[in-house]
Amino acid sequence: MRFDWVNILATVIFVSIVVTLILAVASYFAYKVREARRPKTAAELRQEGEVKVFFEQYQPK
Amino acid sequence: MASTIKKPLNPRVQLLISIAVIVAVVVITLLAFFYREQVGRVVVAALVITLASFLLLLILRHFILIWFSYLHQRELANDDSVEVYPFVSIIVPAYNESEVIQASLASLLELRYPYYEIIAVDDGSSDGTYEKMREFEGNHYGVRVQVFRKENSGKADTLNYGIRRSRAPIVVCTDSDSRLTPDSLRYAIRHFHDPNVGAVTGNVKVINRHNIWTRLQALEYIEGLNLVRKAQAFFRSVNVIPGPMGIFRRMAIEAVGGYDTDTFAEDFDMTVKILAEGWKITYEPKAIAFTEAPEELLDIIKQRYRWSRGILQALRKQKRLLTRSSGTVTTPLTLWYMIFEGLVWPAMNIFANLFFVWIALLYGMTKLLVMWWLLLTLMDLLIAVHAILMEKEDLRLAPYAVFYRFFYILIIDVTKVFATLEELIGLDMSWGKLARKGRI
Repeated sequence: MRFDWVNILATVIFVSIVVTLILAVASYFAYKVREARRPKTAAELRQEGEVKVFFEQYQPK
Repeated sequence: MASTIKKPLNPRVQLLISIAVIVAVVVITLLAFFYREQVGRVVVAALVITLASFLLLLILRHFILIWFSYLHQRELANDDSVEVYPFVSIIVPAYNESEVIQASLASLLELRYPYYEIIAVDDGSSDGTYEKMREFEGNHYGVRVQVFRKENSGKADTLNYGIRRSRAPIVVCTDSDSRLTPDSLRYAIRHFHDPNVGAVTGNVKVINRHNIWTRLQALEYIEGLNLVRKAQAFFRSVNVIPGPMGIFRRMAIEAVGGYDTDTFAEDFDMTVKILAEGWKITYEPKAIAFTEAPEELLDIIKQRYRWSRGILQALRKQKRLLTRSSGTVTTPLTLWYMIFEGLVWPAMNIFANLFFVWIALLYGMTKLLVMWWLLLTLMDLLIAVHAILMEKEDLRLAPYAVFYRFFYILIIDVTKVFATLEELIGLDMSWGKLARKGRI
């Protein structure tokens, strides 16, 4: 059986480019989702004028 | 001053818009595929011409970069500048950098330079960065270390805070996650013998090279970023003074009013302002600064997204300079080059890859596709070896050039295109601080 190396290599190139592009787009959206779910920093909350206080300072009696 | 950063949009709206854009791209691609017979010959011919132009441009760009970087290197080899050492202030801004701040300050104390001071400014950290900085406060064999703490206000404002407290005619701005090599400052200072030089950029290298992502970035810094800076330095108009090592003449900083706080790329913004004032900016390959590169794909995307949008914000801010400049013709040229590199080139690269593969498979030109791939891979390999040898770097990075164009750069370019679209429609963004691993 004779292998057509040019066709095999062309297929590898095609698949790798397409897979890379899919990976790139998917990674970008994964990044956006991660950022959207990230808790805001104190500085960002301050900038938006909504400083949230989760805990109150413990005062020993 | 009008703010360049637009009013935030809801993250869900952002996500929906991004999904809509990608769905539109996919639908158009599928329609073009299924109705390919209807796609006129004229359109195909135009696309083929565009693609051929892209390939020609790619090869031409690389030859130009190699030629001018070689000329700059040769020029530096013949540089017989008299060694005079002015007093230097090194500014180290830090925000939540407790993992790396001590290694960074320790490296600064090891500099082989006679007269300098260190000004470390904590930008309201919450992880004990300030306490770790305080351990360095005081005099260290003639080097005075001052430590300041202020409310969180961003990197640009923190740098301005440090610059205001410095007293030297030369100011070095560095990142707290960077490490300068002992002779870096000595080599960089020699360029200031030219009174028209307003700033010098250092040679930034990746220090953590232990997985494929960091090794690809190490190669990118050598082949992609430093080679370009070297070529630009031949014309004394480097277009980005990177955060890890920027050496400025105080007069130049004062002339442009310091760092502006209205973009996410304060380093690029500052560079453009200095060029616009008519100052020259050059590059010193021996002024080496090591930096910690992001180690995971999503962190790389986060970093490049910020860089891309920051550069676009700065370009938008300085758009009047695209057509006129108070300095030389190099400023508009530099800005147009940035537009090309930041906007046009990534889109062309993605398009060219997709289109070439599509055409080759559609018309059975597989041999052509393989030849195209081999040619570009060979070119990338040769350029990588050339850049690595020029910098006396690790040759083991060269094989990564095979993955560089068809894998790594493609991913970065997709991020750049999305970042550009989001900047154009004005979606909100945050600084997006990277988590440090403490590799320096």
